[in-house]
Parts: sequence; structure tokens; C-alpha cells
Amino acid sequence: MFDKHKTWSKLFAEKGASLHSYLLRRVAHRWDAQDLAQEVYLRLLRIDPADAASIRNPEAYLFTIAANLIKERAVMRQQSPLSSEGLEEVIEQLSTPCSAEADMDRELRQQRLGVLIQRLSPKCRAVLVMHYRDELSYREIAGRLAISTNMVKKYIVKGLAACRQRMADYE
Amino acid sequence: MSKTTNFEAGRRARRISEQAVAWYLEQQDHPSERQRAAFLAWLHVSPAHVAEYLAIAQMHGDLKAAASMETMAAADLVEQARRENPVVVFPLVVADMARESLASPQYRHPWRRTLAQAVACAAIVALVLLAGWQWRMTAGNLRESYAADADSIRDVRLPDGSLIQLARNSQIQVRFDARYRQVEVIRGNALFAVGKDPSRPMLVRVDGHILQDIGTVFDVKRDADSDSLTVISGRVRVWNAPREGAGEIKIDVPQVQRSGDKIADLTAGEQIQLSSSGIGTIRPGQVEQATAWLPRDIRFQHETISDVAQRFNAYTSTPLVIEDARIADMQISGVFHANDPQAFSAYLATLPGVRVVHDSDRVRVIASSGAGDTKAGSL
Repeated sequence: MFDKHKTWSKLFAEKGASLHSYLLRRVAHRWDAQDLAQEVYLRLLRIDPADAASIRNPEAYLFTIAANLIKERAVMRQQSPLSSEGLEEVIEQLSTPCSAEADMDRELRQQRLGVLIQRLSPKCRAVLVMHYRDELSYREIAGRLAISTNMVKKYIVKGLAACRQRMADYE
Repeated sequence: MSKTTNFEAGRRARRISEQAVAWYLEQQDHPSERQRAAFLAWLHVSPAHVAEYLAIAQMHGDLKAAASMETMAAADLVEQARRENPVVVFPLVVADMARESLASPQYRHPWRRTLAQAVACAAIVALVLLAGWQWRMTAGNLRESYAADADSIRDVRLPDGSLIQLARNSQIQVRFDARYRQVEVIRGNALFAVGKDPSRPMLVRVDGHILQDIGTVFDVKRDADSDSLTVISGRVRVWNAPREGAGEIKIDVPQVQRSGDKIADLTAGEQIQLSSSGIGTIRPGQVEQATAWLPRDIRFQHETISDVAQRFNAYTSTPLVIEDARIADMQISGVFHANDPQAFSAYLATLPGVRVVHDSDRVRVIASSGAGDTKAGSL
């Protein structure tokens, strides 16, 4: 955590950004993220029901809408647009205003998330770690814990939802 | 914002998170056309759904790195999870002193003597641990006394799917209501294979002790100076219950987590003595002895596989678990040696569409198509 702060202050110094303006941008950005989700939603609603049936991959469609909105916003503000249309970058843009902060934010987020995983119930924790760290399949985890694959899935859903809720508390 | 509203809002937010996670996982797993349409419909419900989905997608990208911060080895995590006490939602049972709730007017019971004993010692509560359960409709209410005569063992099948086998000259009193399934062992020896009904805990009273069970198999033996509990399969935790209150059994969920005065953990194949002065030490390997009074043969005619499996499970610490509902309901007839569940599982494996999987602590019976082994609540 201490190192984290050092990195932050170094970054502030380099960029000449005051804490004040940084925080302002963070707050402004939170509004952005909410606006963005709202706008994505409105665009989703505008799809003709007949066309909706033909959407082969709704998730990709959703991310495309989000990516387009981010691009539009960047053009409006004359910021540099996305360097690529990589999914990861789109997702990153959803929560962080600019790329330098994105890296820092990501590291902080990952650390917080790591702590949250360790605080989950032993079963949720075991399932999440085996799945995401050790890359075991549901079936393999089910075998190790002597539970059904369906239960493994339930623990993952419960664990991730709990993490997400607690991450939201940080925002 | 009032507390209630905050609580409600928190619950709603969690529900949306869980839905978003479930949808997210499904989208990564080649969703069918129907699933994709349902997902789109879910997104259409609210901008909050869209926002949450995007947030989950982002968090998912961090999971590999975050989970890699965990330093414990997988084997240790598994061991820790195995020892996890899922008692969290299980109620604390406070033995009431009067115990009228189970006493039925039609027979006399030495309440006064046991009352004194009960007051003299803290009641011991055993909570049976079971990972995972299935919510199901509760069976009807019931108030009935059952006794086995001197000539034969009696089977009592209860509406919740429980099978209680009574040794000769044994008696139990059963009372099911909307909140609890209560069984008192009045005298003799009874073996419980308890049906699952988590909304109504099964409470088994043995003199000054209460055993709570949700879906395991155990034997209770009443004796003049002490009673004994033998766990055939599953796990049992024994708690010291605080003495307080009178009248009905009182159940208080948060209290059991606070009290924490666990006495012992019993796993399959272990036995313990329960007496008014406390409990004895846990002894291993008494299953055969404890179940010696059970019939040596298991005979069944047009009974469902799940009912027959329950009979075999009275004898073995590696229970048969019928995970496929269709197989569970198939009717079979036959005669087997009770102490040879392997013969029975070998027989099951010969049935069409049935596959038998031998795990270390259970024998799972699943559909051979492989489709049946992920059925919810199959534990």
C-alpha cells in the first residue's frame, strides 16, 4: 500500500497534476461511467426487435456499442481515441479516464480484488483460486472438492458477486 | 435512507451482481440462441443491468492476477474448504427444560428425572454438517408414535423421505410441523437416514441431547447410563447449548456463531457416548458394531432405487448418492446382502443408462450420457 502511494505521488509530480484536479477528474469520470452505461442501454433499446433476433453475439454487440461511445466521446473531447479496438482496452476505458491512470488503477484494483478473494468463505475461495489461478476446469474442481460441477459454478457466481459488491464499495 | 431500505437496496444490488456474473459466465461458454436472446432481454430490463455487466466484465479481466496473489496451495485450500463449517445457516437448538413440545400425552415418560439431569448439565447440540443442499417442498405435518415389537425390526418411512429403522423393542415419537421435524428416541435403538429439507431442520432428541441432522445417516442407541451416537456417513458437530428459556425449543441462528463452544466433530465411522454428565471421547470404527442389529439382507420389491439406496447407506460410510432424478425414481426388485453395497452398485451399473462413479467418500450413480451428473442439489 505504501509503495502504491509512492507510485502515485511520483506520477502526480511527473504529470504535474494536483491531487485536487485528479480527484475532480475521478468524480467526473464516475459520472462518465454511469452516463456511458446509460447511453449503451439506450442504444440497446433502439434496436428493432426484429433485428435483435438476428444478433449473433449480444455480448460482442454490447461491447461494440460501448467502444463506439468511447470513441465518440474521445473525439468530442479531442482526446486520443482508442489505439485499438481490443476488448480489454474498451473495458478498461469504461472505468478509467486515461491510460496512465488505467495502469495504476488496474494494479490497485487487482490488489483489492486479491484481498477480497482471500476473505471469501473457504469454499468460494478455493473454487475461485483453483479456477482463475490454477486454471482448473469446473469438472476438475468438482472432483477435488467432491461436489457437483453445478455447485462449483454456484460458488463462482456467489464469490464473484460478493467481490464485485465489495469492489463497488470502494468506488 | 432508512435501514430497511438500505438493506433492501443492498440485496437488490447483490442479486443484480449475481445475475450479471451468471450471464457473463454463460456468454463465455458458447451460449445457445435461446440463451443469447434471454441475455439480451435481461440487458433490456434496466440500465443497471448493463452497467453491472460491464463492471463484471472488467472485474473478470483482473481475476487471474488477483487470484494469483493467493499463496496457499490448492491442496491446502481444498482441505480448508472441506473443514469449513457450513453451520452458518444452521440454527442453534436450545434444549428447553420442560420439553413438553415432544411429550405426547398418551404415554408416560420420566420427565422429572430427565428434567433434573437436563438442568444439571448444559444440553449438547449436534449439528450435522452437509455441504450443499436442495430446497424442496416440505412434506406434510405429522404427529405420531412408532414402536417396534419384540419380534422384528420396523421401518418407518416419513413423508419427507426420511427412513428410520427401529430395532426390536424400540420406540420413537415423531412430530413434524411447519418449522421443525422432531423425533424423540424414547427407548431402544434407531437408525436415521434423514431426508433433506433444509427449511425444516430435523431435530433428534436423545434424553438431554439434541442432534440436528440434514441429510446424513447415523445411529442412536439409548442405554441406562449413557446414550451413543454413531455417524455412518456425513459429518456431525457437537455443540454445547446454553441453558436458557423454557417451553418450546428455541432456535437462534446468530447465537450459534457467537457461542462457538464446539465440543466435538464426528465424521463417518465415528462414535461418541452422550451422558448427562457430558460426552465421552470419539472412537473410530464402530460402524459394524453399531449397525449389527440391522437386517442382514435387504429385500425390495418394486421400490425406487433411491429408497433402496437409502437402505444400503445405513451400513456403509461410502454412501450411494443417486444424482440423477430419473434413475432415482426407477423401480427395482431384488435381495442383496446388506453388508455388500458393492454388489448392489455393480447391479445398478448393469441397468441401461446408469453409470456408477466410485469417489473416495461416496459412490455416485449418474446417467451414463453424462448429462445427469450436474443436476443441482445432488449432494
